[in-house]
Amino acid sequence: MTERLANDAIVDRAIEALRRQSAEAEVFLRDSATTSIEVKDGAIENVLARGERGIGIRVIDEQRMGFAFTSDLSTSGIDECVLAARSMSAVTEPDPDLRIARGDTDEVDLGILEGVCDRSVEQRAEAAFAAERAARALDARVTGFRKTRYHDGRSTTILATTSGARGSYGESWSGLDTSVIASDAADRQVGSHARASRRSAEIDPEAIGRYAAGIAVGKLGARTLATQKLPVVLEPYQAMSLLGAIAPLFSAENVLKGKSLFAGRIGESVASASVTIIDDARLSGGLRTAPFDGEGTATRQKTLVGGGVLQGYLTSLKTASRLGAEPTGNARRSSYSGPSRIGPSNFFIQAGREDAGALVRDLDRALRITSLLNLHTIDPISGEFSLGVAGDYLERGERQYPVQGITIAGNLLGLLASISGVGSDLTFGGAGAGSPTLVISELSVGGT
Amino acid sequence: MTLTLDDDKIEEAIIGVDQGAGIRIRVGERQNFANANIADADDLMTLAARAAASVAEDTETERVQLRPDDVPRTHDVLVDPRTVPIPRKVALLRRGNDVARATDPRIHQVTVYYGESIQDVVIANSDGRYRTDTRVRTNFALIAVAKQGEVLESGFEAIRTSRGFETLTDETIDDCARTAARRATKNVDAEPAPAGTYTVVLSAEAGGTLVHESVGHGLEADLNLRGMSVYSGRIGEQVASPLITVIDDGTDPGQRGTAALDDEGTQTQRTVLIENGILRTYMSDRKHARLLGIPESGNARRQSFRHLPICRMTNTLIAPGESDPAEILASVEDGIFVRKMGGGQVDVVSGNFAFEVTESYRIRDGRLAEPLRGATLVGQGPKLMSEIDMVGRDLGYSTGTCGKDGQGAPVADAQPTLRIPSVVIGGR
Repeated sequence: MTERLANDAIVDRAIEALRRQSAEAEVFLRDSATTSIEVKDGAIENVLARGERGIGIRVIDEQRMGFAFTSDLSTSGIDECVLAARSMSAVTEPDPDLRIARGDTDEVDLGILEGVCDRSVEQRAEAAFAAERAARALDARVTGFRKTRYHDGRSTTILATTSGARGSYGESWSGLDTSVIASDAADRQVGSHARASRRSAEIDPEAIGRYAAGIAVGKLGARTLATQKLPVVLEPYQAMSLLGAIAPLFSAENVLKGKSLFAGRIGESVASASVTIIDDARLSGGLRTAPFDGEGTATRQKTLVGGGVLQGYLTSLKTASRLGAEPTGNARRSSYSGPSRIGPSNFFIQAGREDAGALVRDLDRALRITSLLNLHTIDPISGEFSLGVAGDYLERGERQYPVQGITIAGNLLGLLASISGVGSDLTFGGAGAGSPTLVISELSVGGT
Repeated sequence: MTLTLDDDKIEEAIIGVDQGAGIRIRVGERQNFANANIADADDLMTLAARAAASVAEDTETERVQLRPDDVPRTHDVLVDPRTVPIPRKVALLRRGNDVARATDPRIHQVTVYYGESIQDVVIANSDGRYRTDTRVRTNFALIAVAKQGEVLESGFEAIRTSRGFETLTDETIDDCARTAARRATKNVDAEPAPAGTYTVVLSAEAGGTLVHESVGHGLEADLNLRGMSVYSGRIGEQVASPLITVIDDGTDPGQRGTAALDDEGTQTQRTVLIENGILRTYMSDRKHARLLGIPESGNARRQSFRHLPICRMTNTLIAPGESDPAEILASVEDGIFVRKMGGGQVDVVSGNFAFEVTESYRIRDGRLAEPLRGATLVGQGPKLMSEIDMVGRDLGYSTGTCGKDGQGAPVADAQPTLRIPSVVIGGR
């Protein structure tokens, strides 16, 4: 029978093997378990209990990096992973700025681990059913569901380096998402919504069901618009999607390689003066909150854009060294199976002072966006975006009729500069991004 | 294994192993699924016991005799990428970098990826099915960034197949690098695409994102079980122009979406989904084939042992028609010529889709005119498929990773040159 090791013992074994080889190295372990219950129209369809556990080893040998990962955590699997990481370092070229963390990370309660929460399949399914009931109760035109899913999970992360740094943390999350179908005699539409939280009690199934149902019902009878330039209202969930597309511009990796439109622009105005963008991995209970990043650097809060002025970039150990700056703790690990990549944590536009409703009522004519298609095709290098949209045509804040089959287009830099209103309704979404309602003074709308 | 060259330097070399099993138990129409890393038979038995806990203890059980059988392979892998020395792979990355940079002085950054993956699968079920498959995938991709003044633009091209290292030759690498560089440099001094409704010619070279988004997803059986797709309940009906035939072919030799078996162990096949505009069938897994009363088509795919199989495309194409591609272009007085499509997305319930155009030109008097910057095209699937009025006799492929229900799957798509009389383009 294969010898089975606990998480700490796995990391210890890998570190010892690496020290015997006199290699400078970092070992990252993640052990996670998730449960998902997928229901449709009041019946449980799928129950999934998933586990994922593995290690990733990054070796720096004569300034060259090698990386290997494995989910075979037998003693022989760990030993092979160590050798593989070492052999990969012979393939790459030297980089004098490569670093591993030194020194321990601090122990701090960031509100990301819920106490023991053992819920039965039926209790979890009930949350999903509640979302579906609330969607149906909102409007008789709600006729079904594509899928409703409740999920929760817990994970343990351990990071250790051969230079003696070591840290670990546990985290938990719960979430619910639904896609509601609304129909009338002439049309059929879908509305989707997802929320997640560190604590299961903070998930409000009824609110999620109603929000998704509202989008689906609201799109019934949608028509197209004439091609024109119009002010655009982005509600928080749409605004945070676009904010996510802007995140790569802050990556020091992209800046140093000449792949960011923000390169060389620190201290300059890059957005409307009403825009302040913050990255805060220490936000209590945040979905991207963690005490240290994927390289073991302690996280902290940073203002990236203050009053429209670019104040800094997101960095890793390597890029901070090259820039001669302190690392910001933004080397993120999405899994044990790849090295860290620079990315945002809880990343948001600070709330403004104005009531979102009042901002919208000030606009004679506007397009309010409720769904965006093709967000993943925004090119962060050129900043160009062109997206399919659905939403509402508004006059003085009053909805005139729903619209779809139209596009919006522009450049991310132009978009940031033309934010003419920032609401007070800051909302966080599923991926740690947050935004209040934003008004864009003008965008190109493509239609008939 | 993946190797990355960026900023003129071999920056990353990654190798890894992922092994485990997933067990799915069907109780009525409910599926209970559990997975774990598996190092040996003891791990597998532990997982089986955990999965079995979801079944009532008084359930009748029987011992099943597994019947191993072989399914013919769709094509041979000539050179297993694991047998190729790493320096040869590194040389390809450097060659791609050098060729792309030499194309134009405005190319100011290049990233090149090489990737190989070997997936060994064993599928056994309570019907006694026991089948194995080995899927080799060899990938090369290049992103070129061009800079002119303050304007940055990127260009992308990839070679992604289910073949071995034999697909990566100096010639294919050079072509890939020049194509990516051309897209980047063309875009830095191109005019923005216009916004509005235009006649569009999609070149065969543009790839198959249109068929994937506007028709393909809507023909996946799971979305048709409860009438969620615009194509639900329409088998036997006219759903597209008589010029349109849509095929999903998991056996297309060497393509990125090809495999001998799907992830339930069903042999893959060539399935005619729409024939001369008439809807024939959907892409199914075992569950939805049973519930919808349609044949199993070998379209059950899963990202890994950690995921449930779901209905999805393999290699999906619009079959070539009879028009001469040059005549299709010449027939348009004022319009847009799409030479390359990027990613796309569809809302299957309403049929509204969007796909990205990464290389395009204005058509004036039946000829290619000035280049245009990228834009998204939007439309409604069945409406667009009914309106296509010219279908070329050529066929061009593109490759991608399709996302559905949080799972990624390697796919290829293809289509001939097509004329769309009017479609909304999202320029400025």
